[in-house]
Amino acid sequence: MGRYVIIRVATSILMLVATSAVIFVVLRALPGDPVLTRLGTTQGVTPETIQRLRAELGIDRSVLAQYGSWIGGVLHGDLGRSYFNDFEVSSLVGKRIGATLELTIVSVLLATVVAVPVAIAASLRPHGAVDRIVSALSSLGMAFPPFVAAIFLLVVFSVQLGWLPARGFVSLADDPAENVRHLVLPSIAIATVAAPLVVRYLRAALVDALAAPFVRTAEGKGVPRARVVLHHALRNALLPALTSVGLIFGYTLGGAVLVEYVFGIPGLGSLAVESALKRDYAVLQSVVLLLCALFILATLTVDLAARGLDPRLRAVHSDG
Amino acid sequence: MDEQGGAAVAAVRSRMRLRRSPSLLALATGVLGLIVVLCLLAPLIARHDPNEQDPADAFASASGAHWFGTDDLGRDLFSRVLYGGRLTLLIVAGSVLVAFLLGTLWGFVAAIRRGFLDELLMRTADVLMAIPQLLFALVCISAFGASMLNLALVIGVLLSPTTARMARAAALTEMNRDYYAAAIAYGARRRRLLLVELLPNTTGALAVQAAINAASAMILEASLSFIGLGIQPPDASWGTLLQQGYGFLYQNVGYAIFPALAILLTIWTLNVLADQLGARAGAQGA
Repeated sequence: MGRYVIIRVATSILMLVATSAVIFVVLRALPGDPVLTRLGTTQGVTPETIQRLRAELGIDRSVLAQYGSWIGGVLHGDLGRSYFNDFEVSSLVGKRIGATLELTIVSVLLATVVAVPVAIAASLRPHGAVDRIVSALSSLGMAFPPFVAAIFLLVVFSVQLGWLPARGFVSLADDPAENVRHLVLPSIAIATVAAPLVVRYLRAALVDALAAPFVRTAEGKGVPRARVVLHHALRNALLPALTSVGLIFGYTLGGAVLVEYVFGIPGLGSLAVESALKRDYAVLQSVVLLLCALFILATLTVDLAARGLDPRLRAVHSDG
Repeated sequence: MDEQGGAAVAAVRSRMRLRRSPSLLALATGVLGLIVVLCLLAPLIARHDPNEQDPADAFASASGAHWFGTDDLGRDLFSRVLYGGRLTLLIVAGSVLVAFLLGTLWGFVAAIRRGFLDELLMRTADVLMAIPQLLFALVCISAFGASMLNLALVIGVLLSPTTARMARAAALTEMNRDYYAAAIAYGARRRRLLLVELLPNTTGALAVQAAINAASAMILEASLSFIGLGIQPPDASWGTLLQQGYGFLYQNVGYAIFPALAILLTIWTLNVLADQLGARAGAQGA
């Protein structure tokens, strides 16, 4: 176990370093100079001024030196400054990360709460009527790009019925009730796509578990059906399905980018879109790296948790 | 974004063991064919020019004259959706082609060479898959400009790591079979092994991946156009139409809903197609 944890953590760190290098190289390789973009059509700018601005931003140095100072700063919690308004990236990110984390966590929870009972119902009779309906609905749900689901929800519940706000966000600390009202539609939009993934994973694991010899033994002993399903089968199926939650967390983070944009939520996703449109690489590289880090961290946590909880994983893949 | 999503979907798919349904496969193929034909024959079907303005008739609801209603400039939305589909489908087809060429080569080379090169190629794919795809696409398009060619190239390149993983897995399966050992024993060269032995025998898996890629490409194209970094007005793909409609939700709901439905139906059909092609390939492989 100890060896596995060390290898797994080391791989994650290497992944993160490689990811940061790719982000940095791609952003630097692209045409477009942030200084010129920032100056726009301002008249009478001397080459000396441009040179001075470039030096202030540190983009006159070699790519390797820039990468080194970026990563060095990141390790100290200093994410650099925006190319445009001199705001510190860390404070921009600090203001935005709460909304994204809340949206992501609420969406994953919502998806799981809906998906578990649905998957149980579907797995009781594989290829039966319930299973077919669930399969059709989940295939429809998976077809929604999250922002398209967001637009449908917006049309029905904000435009037509007027029940929920169409745009904006109120933080949990300011007004919990308004916070919930603003989060309902965005999290349903993401859960529409995430829940079918959980359903399909868990259903497959449950069908396997219900066909296993230990279930037949339990039934042979006269254990009630409900207890067989919930206690024997579900317990065994939940852990394999847990690994899928890491992937779904990543999917949710990605989906949140445009959902935040549609609902005007000030999160990391909308910050990334804004800075990409402005070519503010200083903000963009740190935001993208942070989103990648969250994804890698989620996968790592889920992997380690599943392994810690499930002795079968330790037995089968002892060398990781 | 959807590289991760693609990985999640692929992981789920591989565990689902869906039941084969030839009628569902036929239905999905038929619906997809119908969508493609409708868009390609847009000039014959549409009764209005997609760019013909009629400000007096702006924001009309769906009616006999305008099946999907009209937009803010009084343009016929049915025509605009049909013509928009041509752009969307063209970009999707281009992306799938780029992803196929690049991804298959990437995966096959990794499978055949093994060792260090294999590790290098696959770890590169892992790293690329950890970066939110949409953000990557956003940066590239804002820098290179939003032409049809750029969109197809950027989206195709973004889809190639998942394609490479799948192509490598499919190639490794085939390389364990007797015919492959026989080919080596007969002294087949590497090029023959790739093109004559591996490629034709992995078409099943590659077709599944092409359907998955097409669905991902649709999502990416729609997302980029929705932000304003895709097809630019006056031309309009389904994503562009959705963006414009999103700005007028309170004037004419159909403006956003019909392009959204077109995107949704096409992706759904592609997903069903991928599921059924996968179930068929699985049944043949077993």
